[in-house]
Amino acid sequence: MKELKYILKPKSVVIVGASRIPGKVGHIILQNYINDGYSGKIYLVNRNEEEILGMRSYSRVTDIKADGIDLAVIAVPAEAVPGVLEDCGKAEVKSAVVVSGGFAEIGKQELQDEIVRIAKKYKIAMIGPNCLGVMDPRSRVNTLFLPSYKLAKPEIGGISFVAQSGAVGSTVLDLMAGEGFGISKFISYGNAADIDEVDILEYLMEDEETKVIAMYIEGIKRGKDFIELGKRITKKKPVIILKAGRTEAGATAAHSHTAALAGSYEAHEAVFRQFGFTIANDISELLYYSKIFASEAAPAGSRIGIITNGGGAGVLTTDAIASSRHMLLGELSEKSKSELKKVMPPLVNIANPLDLAGDADDRRYRDALTSMASDQGIDMIIVIILFQTPGADSRLAAEVVAMKEKTSKPMVVLSIGSEYTEMHKMMMERSGLPVYDSPRAVALSLEALYSYYKYKARFG
Amino acid sequence: MLWDYFKAKEILDKYGIRSIDSRYIESAEDAVRFSKNRPIVLKLISEKELHKSKAGLVKLELSDEKAIKAAYEELVSKGKSLKPYRIIAQAMASGGGVEAIIGGREDPQFGKLILIGLGGIYVEAFKDFALRVCPISEYDAGEMLEQLVSRSVITYKGKSRKMLVKLLMDVSKLLVENPQIKELDLNPVILREKSYDIVDIRVLE
Repeated sequence: MKELKYILKPKSVVIVGASRIPGKVGHIILQNYINDGYSGKIYLVNRNEEEILGMRSYSRVTDIKADGIDLAVIAVPAEAVPGVLEDCGKAEVKSAVVVSGGFAEIGKQELQDEIVRIAKKYKIAMIGPNCLGVMDPRSRVNTLFLPSYKLAKPEIGGISFVAQSGAVGSTVLDLMAGEGFGISKFISYGNAADIDEVDILEYLMEDEETKVIAMYIEGIKRGKDFIELGKRITKKKPVIILKAGRTEAGATAAHSHTAALAGSYEAHEAVFRQFGFTIANDISELLYYSKIFASEAAPAGSRIGIITNGGGAGVLTTDAIASSRHMLLGELSEKSKSELKKVMPPLVNIANPLDLAGDADDRRYRDALTSMASDQGIDMIIVIILFQTPGADSRLAAEVVAMKEKTSKPMVVLSIGSEYTEMHKMMMERSGLPVYDSPRAVALSLEALYSYYKYKARFG
Repeated sequence: MLWDYFKAKEILDKYGIRSIDSRYIESAEDAVRFSKNRPIVLKLISEKELHKSKAGLVKLELSDEKAIKAAYEELVSKGKSLKPYRIIAQAMASGGGVEAIIGGREDPQFGKLILIGLGGIYVEAFKDFALRVCPISEYDAGEMLEQLVSRSVITYKGKSRKMLVKLLMDVSKLLVENPQIKELDLNPVILREKSYDIVDIRVLE
């Protein structure tokens, strides 16, 4: 296994191509290290400078008097990368993130092969080239050359996000931060010349800080190894995959119906399905599923209970559940019914969905949630809160968060609305309660959750 | 390269995968003799045409000498532009049933894949199929059926599920143990509640 620990948890970093000129990649990376408060040792290398932002700059990596730097972040023109890597090797640098582009992606395969050869010679674990690199909010490592004011900063959490493409990677990272979920690692690995998706997944499988893995990939380099890994990784933690290339032309002149139907994308999808990966069809689904898996609750079955303060929203959600593949609307037990009859006002019809009416407040929700949480006929709970109604306020949001702490059943909130709703959505999500803004998103997410745990349950 | 039909049929037999009674014929009289008064099918097989039904190369339900002779002449005339070709006579599958496709192919990344779907001439219209990497387990085979939109039709509301699971596992075994096979089409496989008929076979090496 390739040593990603030196990349994600380095005790010392050298930034090669560090720059004093704002806007330059080598400047942004350095600035991010300083701003994020990285606590390890930082060395700078720039052939033409002696000092950058008040720090000493060396002209070559080999000039630095240190025994073995953990990570080199390399942001120099492509043709200079082999020389820099050679220096890194001599200086016993353990790993490298090659941010520079200008390799296989523009047809320069030979130059790429050369840096792989050097990395292998010196046993340098290398990410890239042509990538954004990594971010680990715990170790405060951030090799992303994106100005920090342009990218919302995610909190520390359990989701590790892996993206072959830097552009999709940073977009999703920005969205994740905006949604209020916490990140464990972000890894953008570009051309995958040395470290590829299989190496990264191997590492994240064992990484205790990572609870959920979300991935955007364009291709898989080692299909058979991926399958072997697939057999193990999804038994440990959920892996969500968004694969590009659905519309790629299949075999142009297929000689069989099978080949015409089952092209490369379909083959990937088949592997993901067979080995328990969760397939996301677009960026929205990737975010939906990341969120529900991050809440770390496993359903015992597929029976859904719905609590709502709006009749229409309850019906729409029931429809979404009914059109899903596996989920069913649960039946309330006699015990729940009699409990609820005692505490609910007469206008509340005791059924599932349980419509608490437009004047429902935190107390009415608490009673409803308490019953559903202990009802043997309900495996997962959808709490619809329309914050436009008079009784729905911050106390209600807090009550629902408190219930989530008390029950082991998966619980999600559906809230549709603008500013006031958004504010409460953030409150709840920061407390680990997934909030969605459409019945479809809720249904897809619960289905994904159920399917994953059903897969996992087969192996005990 | 397309395998000879009977070489393909033979390998299926070896794995206990039954396909319908068939024979090459060289003349209309040959076909009449093969028919023995039961309805038969005549098909023209050529590497140049994958979509036999659409191209009018499958003549169904030929129950008397006159019909057999007419169909034979028609195929010979269509075959002029499809040389080399062979004409095959087959017993007519008994009535009813749902047409499915079971297939396989070698994927450069992941190795042998196995497929089942709604078959016949609607394969590419509905694209209702499930795909897995070989070898498949019994669970995988069951999940493949479960994944199909047409699952209740194909499995006769679950009644033929066991038979299909076994068939899929046999095909998976065949694919794994014969690495020279690059593509396989069993299409259509006519499924009934308690039996099936494989009516057409294509194996590519």
